Amino acid sequence: MTVAVPGAGHRAPRRGVGLFWHQIRYEQLTFWRNPQSAFFTFVFPVLVISIFGGLFGDVKDSSFYYGGDALQYYVSTIIAMSVLGSCYSQLAIVLATRRQNGILKRVRATPLPASVYFVGLLAHCVLVSFVDVLLIIVVGRFYGLSLPASSQWLPIVVSLALGATAYCALGAAVASVIKNADAAPAVVQFVLFPLVIISGTMVPIHGAIGTISSVLPVKPLNDALLTAFTGSGSGFRWHDYGTLLVWGAVSAVVAIRRFRWDPRPE
Amino acid sequence: MTNAVVVESLHKAYGTVRAVNGVTFTVEHGEIFALLGRNGAGKTTTMEILEGFRTRDGGRAEVLGLDPGDPATKRRLSERIGLVLQDIAVEPYLTVRETIARDAGYYSAPRDIDEVIGLVDLVGHEKKKVRTLSGGQKRRLDLALGIIGDPDLLFLDEPTTGFDPNARRGAWRLVRNLRDAGMAILLTTHYMEEAQALADRVAVIAAGRIVAEGTPDALGGRNTAQTRIRFELPPACAVTDLPVAAVPGDDGLVTVESAEPTEMLHQLTGWALGRGAVLARLTVDRPSLEDIYLHLTGDDRSAPERTLERSAP
Repeated sequence: MTVAVPGAGHRAPRRGVGLFWHQIRYEQLTFWRNPQSAFFTFVFPVLVISIFGGLFGDVKDSSFYYGGDALQYYVSTIIAMSVLGSCYSQLAIVLATRRQNGILKRVRATPLPASVYFVGLLAHCVLVSFVDVLLIIVVGRFYGLSLPASSQWLPIVVSLALGATAYCALGAAVASVIKNADAAPAVVQFVLFPLVIISGTMVPIHGAIGTISSVLPVKPLNDALLTAFTGSGSGFRWHDYGTLLVWGAVSAVVAIRRFRWDPRPE
Repeated sequence: MTNAVVVESLHKAYGTVRAVNGVTFTVEHGEIFALLGRNGAGKTTTMEILEGFRTRDGGRAEVLGLDPGDPATKRRLSERIGLVLQDIAVEPYLTVRETIARDAGYYSAPRDIDEVIGLVDLVGHEKKKVRTLSGGQKRRLDLALGIIGDPDLLFLDEPTTGFDPNARRGAWRLVRNLRDAGMAILLTTHYMEEAQALADRVAVIAAGRIVAEGTPDALGGRNTAQTRIRFELPPACAVTDLPVAAVPGDDGLVTVESAEPTEMLHQLTGWALGRGAVLARLTVDRPSLEDIYLHLTGDDRSAPERTLERSAP
């Protein structure tokens, strides 16, 4: 180890895939090491789909479930809810907490580019969502879920990708406007809970409320996934994709404009 | 070669509060420079402007020849500076080694991880989760993150607050070793002993201004201040019996101030021995850095006898 002479030798900053990989790896390590976060992130969606599967697994195709059976309905909405939890809730709480205890400020002082830091976090949210989706489908299969036709897998992937993008942006936006991290979980749930109810995640919502919630961020993903799972129509729900994209874009603008690294900004 | 840090009439206000009000100083390569001041004096604001966390309202700031407020050179600068902030900010579930290895990966030419673990004296704790560390160990881990990038300049914001005396001495030794290896170090502290023991140069900051600057020994005219000889008057003696001019104090001690303490002491002790008397509680000292500091920061009302006006020539 030689001591650098001040000003001597140009150090080229680290770039490229290696740095992305390094950050993703340590972001994963940070998550999996915390037993509570790893446990609850996966247990909650599995628990809910297990209960709903047990309660409504026998309900066959009905207009109440928009023409599909109850299991297809709940697998779709619980998948959407788990993506919401992994992307929106998790990102909002993690960012607000890390800002509050100075970890974001500390990262900001290293040469790590902000873009790489966020890619590490987003990759983590997407990975957790992916595991959740697999778990929910496996539990659904256990209750006799009929898998969608192979032509429907592309719309499912597109729906999930757009949903994850929009919800991550929403999470970052909410984290940007939360001042106090202690309030973060409460604020996040305060937004989430009514939204989930009126979007038909627990019980199908028909009529005027459904019309309203279809322009809010949750119902479009519910509907897009349901369409693909029941295999009705082409499988692509363009207007729902559009709604998710608009929410994602607006949230991204808020997040970028309002985001703060410092717990005590000027 | 340029200086490590150049600050010229730096200004920063929060609303109507002038947190930094015309601060000027330079830090040379390979020296430890301390900003000494009370809480709220402007130390941390000055530091955070130099670290790039805050914008300045006016004045010049140059860190390793670059403007810390320029986003275009932010990354280049962060490769060459290290910092230890006031708050400990580390992920609780990673191990000590993982935490350091993660940050090492952010730099293009980091120091060796095990070498740094040895430097901050965390050998044997590498596999411990951060949450199980003591406060002092976490602080040393923070210091490890500050130096893992092998910086030319290290910012230390109140680095030993909350340390026990042993840990503090250990941290001082480490900081001195880093300086000896060529690193420039800018630290803030409100501990007088820390500035005295560690700094090559000290600037006292009060109400957003530098009120004195110099080596710890010469700060505020300390080196030229008169020596104070204090003792208890022998029984049945009056101040006027003494061979030298002395001032009685409230505490039963008399004070003699002199620019020639050797001769003065000789006179006093000769006088006492000649009378068979004892100069009880005899002390010889000069204004401590603390006296100077309290005087400079306008907080010396509690020690009226020790003002500089009286001891100055």
